[in-house]
Amino acid sequence: MNATNKRFAAILLMMIWLTITVQGPSTAQTTKSGDIAVVVNSDTPVSDLSLSEVRKVLLGERQYWNSKLPVTLLIRAPQARERDVVLKVIYQMSEAQFKQYWVAKIFRAEAASPPKIVYSNDMQYDLVTAIPGAIAFVEARAVRPGVKVLRVDGHQPGDRDYPLH
Amino acid sequence: MFACRSRRKLFISQFENAVLGFGFKAEAKTGMERMQRPLLLCAALILTADVAWGQSPPAPDQTEQIRILLERVQELEKRVADLETRPPAGGAAVLTATSAPAAATPKQESTESPVSPAQAHRHESQETQATVHQMETHYPSLQIRGFGELNFSATDQKGTTSGFNLGQLDLHLASALSQKVSYFGEITFNAQPTGYTVEVERNIIRYDYNDFFKISFGRYHTPIGYWNTAYHHGSWLQTTIARPEMVKFGGTFIPVHFVGFLVEGNIPSGGAGLGYSAGVGNGRGSTISRPGDFVDNNDNRAWVANLYSRPAKLYGLQMGVSVYRDKIKPLPVPPSGTDFREWITAAHIVYTKESPEFLAEFANVHHQNVFTNFVTNSQAYYVQVGYRLPWLEKALKPYYRFEHTHVPLSEQVLTNQDLVQSILGVRYDITNYASFKGEYRNTKRLPTEPRVNGVFFQTDFTF
Repeated sequence: MNATNKRFAAILLMMIWLTITVQGPSTAQTTKSGDIAVVVNSDTPVSDLSLSEVRKVLLGERQYWNSKLPVTLLIRAPQARERDVVLKVIYQMSEAQFKQYWVAKIFRAEAASPPKIVYSNDMQYDLVTAIPGAIAFVEARAVRPGVKVLRVDGHQPGDRDYPLH
Repeated sequence: MFACRSRRKLFISQFENAVLGFGFKAEAKTGMERMQRPLLLCAALILTADVAWGQSPPAPDQTEQIRILLERVQELEKRVADLETRPPAGGAAVLTATSAPAAATPKQESTESPVSPAQAHRHESQETQATVHQMETHYPSLQIRGFGELNFSATDQKGTTSGFNLGQLDLHLASALSQKVSYFGEITFNAQPTGYTVEVERNIIRYDYNDFFKISFGRYHTPIGYWNTAYHHGSWLQTTIARPEMVKFGGTFIPVHFVGFLVEGNIPSGGAGLGYSAGVGNGRGSTISRPGDFVDNNDNRAWVANLYSRPAKLYGLQMGVSVYRDKIKPLPVPPSGTDFREWITAAHIVYTKESPEFLAEFANVHHQNVFTNFVTNSQAYYVQVGYRLPWLEKALKPYYRFEHTHVPLSEQVLTNQDLVQSILGVRYDITNYASFKGEYRNTKRLPTEPRVNGVFFQTDFTF
């Protein structure tokens, strides 16, 4: 092996090693994203729901917490991560299917109005705090005092088996 | 910066000495130098790794934090924009899941003087109240949605002509009158050879006590089976161009409409997801394709009951059974008598997740002549499968439907409706609110009649 070849081999080895070194952190980025907490007005008479019960609420099949307290659904506007998680995990629908679902639901006379759209977490907190029976979905890390965080399937956000993330 | 430069310089010199110099200066090496070479190589690798790490993407936690911060910045920008564009007295319409985001308006220049912290807090509190006030439901809250369609058909049936057909223009109305009272209505404008006819399809006022008991009064789509209540006159709502023959509008096999009252709700049943609806009404009119809109023509009320299950563990699945009972007095009067008892029993199973979609429904119509006790049974069923393909943003949905209707020749109330039909088609969703459908149909009615082949196209939409 002449000197040029040795030099080339050394540079090649170095480049491979550098590539591996640079790639390392990227692969580590596939860790679990943040959980999405289900928050309700503090007067809402529930504290634990199964995922299928959350789904029933979001599908408009359960419209009352009790006979005096209707459910008010709040959902973030498109592009928000909370909405993506809600559509993927709970509705199991695409954006188009979600819109079509609510058009059909209302005009089947099964619901009087679709979920209300909120544009920010501040707006969500204001509304959940102010509207009795309101339910919303927020990043678990951004939960603020004044609202009740529901357990889902017996798990709190941050638990290993928590389903909304 | 200086530290970085000096480190890089050190790295380069050591790299040249330790790696690139390997083999060039071997003859000049002392024992000490030979020992230093591996050490220098290790140092070079460590330094290179350091440089590489410096260029690598941030750690996952940092990435997540950056993403959250970016979202927060966007939220704040949105909030600022909202505050800048909000009219002083509030009053913006309530935004709903199906409404488009509000268009941005030009920013207004502010000439306000600086405010104290107390004033700022009061101002923020007022804004919060205004936001809540805007988002609260106001009564009545009328929502109108329209549906339209344009059809083209061509068949090889003798005596028919091909061409375009405007179909129905349909208006749905929904309005919450209070927290527990809602109104629903549906009006259609139907293209006819001599003009348009207007029809009040549904007109319902409903009081919700809770999820388990809701009572309503008005004109409904009779809750027999699945299709008749799941899809209304807007063709855009359904996968196919036309409804199955057994539930077609203007058909007679089952009473499509119902005037009276209905109670409905969920049944506490855990994961079984049971629900019910039951009602009493006028039943069929003298023209049996129409309900008794004005009065009951024989002073004998019809009743209907529907029980269904949506199991929690099989999301998308629904199974149900329905029973309908009436005494009817059809016109023109059949030769064997005027009054018939009618029993309709139906069952359905559907899976509506679209990948795949499966709908199957069966109904039996039993008629008994009151005077002669002569009995006839007519059956109809359909099976429909569809699948939303994963390509083209899931816009394509091919489907197939087979349907069969059998009405015995001895049947005295229904005219003969025998049918064996296959439909093969595809739905393409042009946007979230409009679709294009193309269908091939192969239809055979009476045994003596030839099969009819046809192609049908439709564009339908909601607005």
